[in-house]
Amino acid sequence: MSQPWNRLSRRQLLKGLGGASALPLLGAMPSLAIGGQHAGHVVVVGGGFGGATAAKYLKRANPAIKVTLVEPAEVFYTCPFSNLFLGGLRDMRSIAHNYDELRQRYGVDVIHALAEDIDADAHKVRLSTGDTLRYDRLVLSPGVDMRWDALDGYDEAAAEKAPHAWKAGHQTTLLKQQLEAMEDGGTFIIVAPDNPYRCPPGPYERAGMVAHYFKEHKPNSKVLILDAKDNFSKQGLFTAGWQRLYGDRIEWVGLSNDGRVTRVDADNLEVETEFGTRHRADVLNVIPPQKAGWIADRAGVTDSSGWVPVKPDTFESQQVSDIYVVGDATVAAPMPKSGFCANAQAKVVAAAIASSLEQQPAPTAYWANTCYSLVGPNYGISVAGVYRVTDGAIAEVPGAGGVSPADAPDTVRALEAEYAVGWYNAICQDTWGTQV
Amino acid sequence: MGMHLRACFALAVALGAANSAIAETRLDTDALQLEVLAGSCANCHGTDGRMVGAVPALAGRSAEQLEARLLAFKHEENTGATIMDRIAKGYTDEELATLADYFSHLPATAELTP
Repeated sequence: MSQPWNRLSRRQLLKGLGGASALPLLGAMPSLAIGGQHAGHVVVVGGGFGGATAAKYLKRANPAIKVTLVEPAEVFYTCPFSNLFLGGLRDMRSIAHNYDELRQRYGVDVIHALAEDIDADAHKVRLSTGDTLRYDRLVLSPGVDMRWDALDGYDEAAAEKAPHAWKAGHQTTLLKQQLEAMEDGGTFIIVAPDNPYRCPPGPYERAGMVAHYFKEHKPNSKVLILDAKDNFSKQGLFTAGWQRLYGDRIEWVGLSNDGRVTRVDADNLEVETEFGTRHRADVLNVIPPQKAGWIADRAGVTDSSGWVPVKPDTFESQQVSDIYVVGDATVAAPMPKSGFCANAQAKVVAAAIASSLEQQPAPTAYWANTCYSLVGPNYGISVAGVYRVTDGAIAEVPGAGGVSPADAPDTVRALEAEYAVGWYNAICQDTWGTQV
Repeated sequence: MGMHLRACFALAVALGAANSAIAETRLDTDALQLEVLAGSCANCHGTDGRMVGAVPALAGRSAEQLEARLLAFKHEENTGATIMDRIAKGYTDEELATLADYFSHLPATAELTP
């Protein structure tokens, strides 16, 4: 399995010699070598955790499948660990990945263009280059888009002044510059959205990383989280960790205490809550409500929620056949919108598509999730889950998963911080394989 | 399911030994089922469980050792695990044994470094 090209050669040679295949001889010949013949064309739109994994694992499942990955960016910056960049623990290069290994080792055709439209009836994807790709199966890994109409005053222009930094890259470096330019004694406000949104523990990890930066460089500054909900991921662990490492430097205001922000004044770095309380920030980080990336709308796979309902066993769209959707864009609860889940879903999708192209039933789906968060550089916490399809729906396996123990000693927190780095290295190797 | 997976694995190994059998189909559906079962392991242990680093590699280790460890994570207290005790409880004993078999047969080439 580690040598897909060798396996391809062996199999195709056998096919060519054996004549035992049910397929016509020409179709069974070494298709890639003679050109034009393949086991089906799969187009993957989006080169993040979901899309890049799907492309790689399609090729692992059957190297004779032609796989085209469409992704505008030549370098992909991960949201996971972008909070560590804000905290001063990493540089941007350390969270940058490219597509060389997918091209060179796995034979994926990577096109750096934007998928502009999808004609599901004709099975066609139109690219920003003017080209059109015809697919047998389509994988969408569109990630999330911000709902620019959800918070009064918060649109794309406002995000240049009050960054969301919820897609890694320019927005992340912008927020970091503001953080560094801020004078000591200032307030960093994080506006956190209601569920569902990308990376449930993300805003709270960010609070800790910013507080870490303050502790080292701006000791009189504080972090204020204004939250549109009353509970959040790993809440008890985060709260205890903040207290332990940062004292009162982090304040969290939940929905019931008028934490829900409804209006943003990005020019004055001011926000207003549901009941009219105004808060002024020195650095304002607004994480707005989200929806599936817009190409999902163009494909017709989203529903009125703005997200994508999928068939649990295969992650094929419930609304449009031959289109499979993975990652944050999907309705996959109780699986969270995490890079880990996008990767795990993509493997199930790759196997389901490889099977369907050969008229075979999809394998039984298995997924797991692990989300590590750093409260401080040597203080890690985690949540895990194992998932199956039960009675036609995705369900958590009872008795498994859960969060790190509340009463663990510092040595366990330090170990989990170390494993968080191990996890990041492993999942990025598994997804892109290439460190820029 | 567990028994089925283990049978799948035995079959996959047998087919691998007798190359000609694979010519029957372009897609090895049994191997694919194992890849899906083991899919999430790679997210911390690297592709094919071959990542070397803070999280231990799995590929090429003894099946008995891996199975004993996984079963301990699932059934015993104080194994020293931080997270595998929570994950192992999501799988049947048979599935854990199948995973141990699977990784023990993968080559332990330590080429995957961050």
